[in-house]
Amino acid sequence: MIKVEICTGTTCFVMGGAELLMLEESLPESLADRVEIQGTSCMEHCKSNPAGEAPYARVNGKLIKQASIHNVITELKRITGEE
Amino acid sequence: MAYVEVDYFQLFKDQQRVGGDAFLSRKVRDENRVISVLSDGLGSGVKANVLSTLTATMALNYVTNHMDIEKAARVIMKTLPVCKTRKISYSTFSIVDVEKDNRVRIVEYDNPPFLLVRNGKVIDTAKQSIKLDNNTHTKEDVLKCVEFKARLGDRIILFSDGVSQSGMGTPEFPLGWRESSIRQFVCGILEREPELSARDLSRRIVQKAYTHNYNAAWDDITCGVINVRQPRELLIMTGPPIHKERDQEMAEIFELFTGEKILCGGTTANIISRELGRPIDVDLSHIHLDVPPTSNMQGASLVTEGTITLGKVVEILESGLNPDSMKPNGAVLLVQHLLNHDKIHFCVGTKINDAHQDPHVPVELEIRRNIIKRIQQALEDKHLKETTLQFI
Repeated sequence: MIKVEICTGTTCFVMGGAELLMLEESLPESLADRVEIQGTSCMEHCKSNPAGEAPYARVNGKLIKQASIHNVITELKRITGEE
Repeated sequence: MAYVEVDYFQLFKDQQRVGGDAFLSRKVRDENRVISVLSDGLGSGVKANVLSTLTATMALNYVTNHMDIEKAARVIMKTLPVCKTRKISYSTFSIVDVEKDNRVRIVEYDNPPFLLVRNGKVIDTAKQSIKLDNNTHTKEDVLKCVEFKARLGDRIILFSDGVSQSGMGTPEFPLGWRESSIRQFVCGILEREPELSARDLSRRIVQKAYTHNYNAAWDDITCGVINVRQPRELLIMTGPPIHKERDQEMAEIFELFTGEKILCGGTTANIISRELGRPIDVDLSHIHLDVPPTSNMQGASLVTEGTITLGKVVEILESGLNPDSMKPNGAVLLVQHLLNHDKIHFCVGTKINDAHQDPHVPVELEIRRNIIKRIQQALEDKHLKETTLQFI
């Protein structure tokens, strides 16, 4: 199982995290059963990193900056070797 | 000390855009009094709305200023326009004045009699009748007055004739719902749910009356409930402390609070989670694009995101809309908790989140303490709640 954690803190939510929470509906069939999606409370990356990097997500522990459905799926495909 | 919770529910007569019944309440904080007035104006729609609002406003102001109730009633009757055909100036009223030692005075004029429910039973009170001379009226005017000392748990229930006459003419209720059946209904609900709030009880009574009319409002249907009870306390904890060294103190405030507790804000929840060793579990079963998801944590009734959610809470509270008719999200749930409690304590961390000041952020995020001030004001002025504020 690949674990995707999506930050639901304020900054991430307004910077695109709200749409990112819909990730499950956009997963290609090949990934649907292999991914577990979780929300997290504020990861607090927004406080220590340069502005403009939110929203944040983690895929199997790896931090994704400016996370979007597109780049999270890209990372998932990299892990599964689809790409 | 006992707390006086007041709330009401109302349906307008079908086809009418305004109500002909008015229910107004005021808390006189310096004197520890709560005054409520129910008035029903003759007819329905705009004319009745003007009559009942005028009556209720005058009654509220006179009683607040300690004018003798009999005199106040005379002034109100003289002020109201007299209907040419019916020769009655007309709006009915019931005034309830709960003073600081729970001494209650009630005056009724032509409304259905109030119910006093104590320990699950309706208590009959000895009412005194005062006749008013009024030669412009074709009928005799009588004020009914009563005084008693309320006990913890007492409920005073006021309703307009839209409740007592509901269903009139139907096979089930040829003469309307009538007092004896209303008593039975109220006692039945309170036996099952003895802790029911004024907000919920008033709504149940009105909705029941509505079903008697085959789901229609043949008249304005209004019910107000005054509940003398042990205050229900709620802690809203939001925002990290200005200095990190005070995180532990914040966790202690949370842990030691005996009422219900709500956390608003990701960092706030993280601090409590870390200090008390309790995991946060984000609930993704309902996703909304405008309000972030809620979470669960042991010991908290609700965990929400901070600034966006609180901003929505202000909007709902200031609009006066009923959260029960909204799709549930973090803000709606938070408003429901606020309205179901009497004393709300805000513990607000004052650290400013620099990330919210980032010019890339597409919406205005207001500073936490400003939002909290607006929430407090709306709770006190519109919903008669008591609030306290502590910065950390």
